[in-house]
Amino acid sequence: MPTEERKKLLGELKNSLSGALPEERIISGDYAKTGCHLEVRLSDAGMLRVASVMKEKRFYLETITAVDFPDSFELVYFYSTWHQDFCRLVARIRISKEASPRSVSSVYPEAIWLEREIYDFFGIRFLDHPDLRRILNPDNADYFPLLKSFGKTKLTEEIDDILC
Amino acid sequence: MLNIKTIDDTTINERVYQLNLGPQHPSTHGVLHLLMKLDGEVVVEAEPIVGYSHRGHEKMAENRIWEQFLPNTSRIDYLSGLIYNHGYCMAVEKLCGIEVPERAEYIRVITSELNRISSHLLGIMAFVMDIGAFTPFLYGWDDREHVLDLLERVAGSRLTYCYNRFGGVRNDIDREFCDGTRRFIDRLRGRFSDYHNLITENIIFIKRTRGIGIITEDTALDFGVTGPTLRGSGVGYDVRKNEPYSVYPEFDFEIPVRKEGDVMARYQVRMAEMEQSMNIIEQALDGLPQGPIRSKVPLFIDPPAGDCYFAFESARGAVGYYIVSDGTRIPYRIKVRTPSFSNLFVLTRILPGNFIADCIATLGSIDVVVPEIDR
Amino acid sequence: MNITQLPIIKEIYGFLGRDLTAAVTGILIILVFVPLNSAFLVWLERKVAGHIQLRPGPMEVGPHGILQTLIDAVKLMGKEMITPKLADKFLFWLAPIIIIIPAIVCFVVIPFSPMMQVREMNVGILLIFSFSSLTVLSILMGGWASNNKYALIGAVRAVAQNVAYEIPLLLSTMSIIIMTNSFKMSEITAAQSGVWFIFYQPVAAIIFFISTTAETNRAPFDLVEAESELVSGFHTEYTGMRFALFFLAEYTNMFIAASMGAVLFFGGWHGPFFPGLIWFMVKVYILIFVIIWVRWTFPRLRFDQLMNFAWKFMIPAALLNLMVTAVLLKVL
Repeated sequence: MPTEERKKLLGELKNSLSGALPEERIISGDYAKTGCHLEVRLSDAGMLRVASVMKEKRFYLETITAVDFPDSFELVYFYSTWHQDFCRLVARIRISKEASPRSVSSVYPEAIWLEREIYDFFGIRFLDHPDLRRILNPDNADYFPLLKSFGKTKLTEEIDDILC
Repeated sequence: MLNIKTIDDTTINERVYQLNLGPQHPSTHGVLHLLMKLDGEVVVEAEPIVGYSHRGHEKMAENRIWEQFLPNTSRIDYLSGLIYNHGYCMAVEKLCGIEVPERAEYIRVITSELNRISSHLLGIMAFVMDIGAFTPFLYGWDDREHVLDLLERVAGSRLTYCYNRFGGVRNDIDREFCDGTRRFIDRLRGRFSDYHNLITENIIFIKRTRGIGIITEDTALDFGVTGPTLRGSGVGYDVRKNEPYSVYPEFDFEIPVRKEGDVMARYQVRMAEMEQSMNIIEQALDGLPQGPIRSKVPLFIDPPAGDCYFAFESARGAVGYYIVSDGTRIPYRIKVRTPSFSNLFVLTRILPGNFIADCIATLGSIDVVVPEIDR
Repeated sequence: MNITQLPIIKEIYGFLGRDLTAAVTGILIILVFVPLNSAFLVWLERKVAGHIQLRPGPMEVGPHGILQTLIDAVKLMGKEMITPKLADKFLFWLAPIIIIIPAIVCFVVIPFSPMMQVREMNVGILLIFSFSSLTVLSILMGGWASNNKYALIGAVRAVAQNVAYEIPLLLSTMSIIIMTNSFKMSEITAAQSGVWFIFYQPVAAIIFFISTTAETNRAPFDLVEAESELVSGFHTEYTGMRFALFFLAEYTNMFIAASMGAVLFFGGWHGPFFPGLIWFMVKVYILIFVIIWVRWTFPRLRFDQLMNFAWKFMIPAALLNLMVTAVLLKVL
């Protein structure tokens, strides 16, 4: 693995990211532990700018996902590259439970489906999304399955008690 | 009552009509639903509607312990279950810092590559059947049967495996498995000339596949296309090579790439990949080290709090497990990035302007597995 | 002993006259032969397909599964005949009846042996062509009446395809007719007592073979019922015995196509040692075997490729062949 070139690429990436996002925190990730070379913690407006920088660098959007923490959601964006010297970047953003984050589907059309999936499972409504509908669950469903409040039965709580 | 919203009915005039291709249709490989607006036989607009086989694997993961999610992984993509098994184990091992004996890694690679061959055989042959040739399908089925027999011998099941364990594998492979694998590889090498005669050099097949359903590099970037579908578009991206995991760096293999980006290119990439997989298996069998097949791992694992992303290459593209642990025996969140999800969405871009017959060919060449999309 | 010398036969002759007796007997034989032959062909196809695909094919019912089709037919008879709610009921009912008519009528002029021909006609070949054109009417009716998009697309494809391929079919047959100066099937057969016409007209034979494969909607030209695209084309909505009639017609049309091929290019019932009937049947079944073989080997063409092939290649080639034949006959 050409580590020298990876270092160069990472440096360039850091530069252009800090140019685009002067106020955000960009930290080097521990690849051996988290699987990501670079980690960006974003505030609300940064998502689109990160996406356009990554698109310019010809990174593809690997996936978007959300994690339901007790007081907030965390949206996680994974970007990675087709280059020989491989590099993965993760962008995280904490949003409140009622917030509507901006959609990145104008930069990456793939995000149309990924964000639909997040809406479908977490009920997070993305702004400027062209087609925010249910995708995997039935259209008339009134629940968001991956919320921690969904699907807690007596049985599962008992199992939790036993195991944890 | 399932109220499925469709492409807006008001935009349909007398010339353009709607066709529901699926969810019960011979060529949608499962329960995929393609809603198409057609002008005669030409597609104006296509919209894949997914979710018919949604089982909520990600929710299930949050309701069971780490070990209990193992059987689920092979049911996400039932055609390359062992690869998903392998990937999940590696992701959790990465999170917990579990060491895996070398012999176990070799066995994992051998079984994964065998699984990849079986998946590609089925993918190619189902695609050829979509184009109208039924016989190669059964030839491929015949070869696949041998792989399944081999895997059944070592893993105990034929389709939905649960063979990998945290820190190793369940069973050791024996002499007979190694010999059987070598025999199978010799046999499959001989069969390739048959396939090339019957399919690749068939004039009708060439006419049906050349220049159809072209995915350019930029489209692939927009939609996050990976796997053989991407390698048919001239990008040599393979997680096994670009972001090496397991013992793949020790093997000498190539990543087949085709520049054309059409249906034929994807077919050729898959054919070439099977040959590379056979190379890997042979090298792994030659260099199979002795030793234990499983390291000492507690009965229930307690991963530290934290998260990790682990990518690996399934038969359809780059899969990723994003694992969040809160330090308990139950995963906090497991997100599976499935390649078919992104690969299928490209259809909305590339299908318009093609004939129905081409749509079927394109869909077959992308080789989606619907349960993997629906999860 | 000559069967016509029997007193009972003489009595019937006296009552009905020779022609009518022959016609009634012939029709009865055809009515028995058509379903039996179809049943055998279905079994043959499944068996050949099986062996091509490294599997034995039907094995359970009877020795080597020979009675399988019979059982299938019984099953189909027992099935409910469903008419879709929004279908055009009358046309939906009529289509399978119409498709079976040409399949039976065409047998009237086929010379199985010097003696076995129900009716000798001056325009035998034309009769087959005109009646087999009726098939496409029935397909269109069935597809339209089903009120199903797949069926409709299949039916529209069928019409376009049959219209396109009838032209090279007629043109290639025409070159034989120029050589024999007759539309009579028996005279065409008689003209080949020495050399089969395939040696005089190889191009016409190839065009004829391809066109008949397309006319009978067999692979690689089975776009009408392309199952990976159109589920099963025009008969998607048909069930039970109605579906069986379409099936019956398909295999009977195959037999008619093959027997025309045998008559036009392979010398009909001519052959040494054995009676004419055996030679004729052997030739027909070999041709059918080739059609089956092709089906299980080739992928399917795309619709525009199919039409381009007909209009841009087959028709010019057939015309050229016809012209060359005509000029050569005039000069020699």
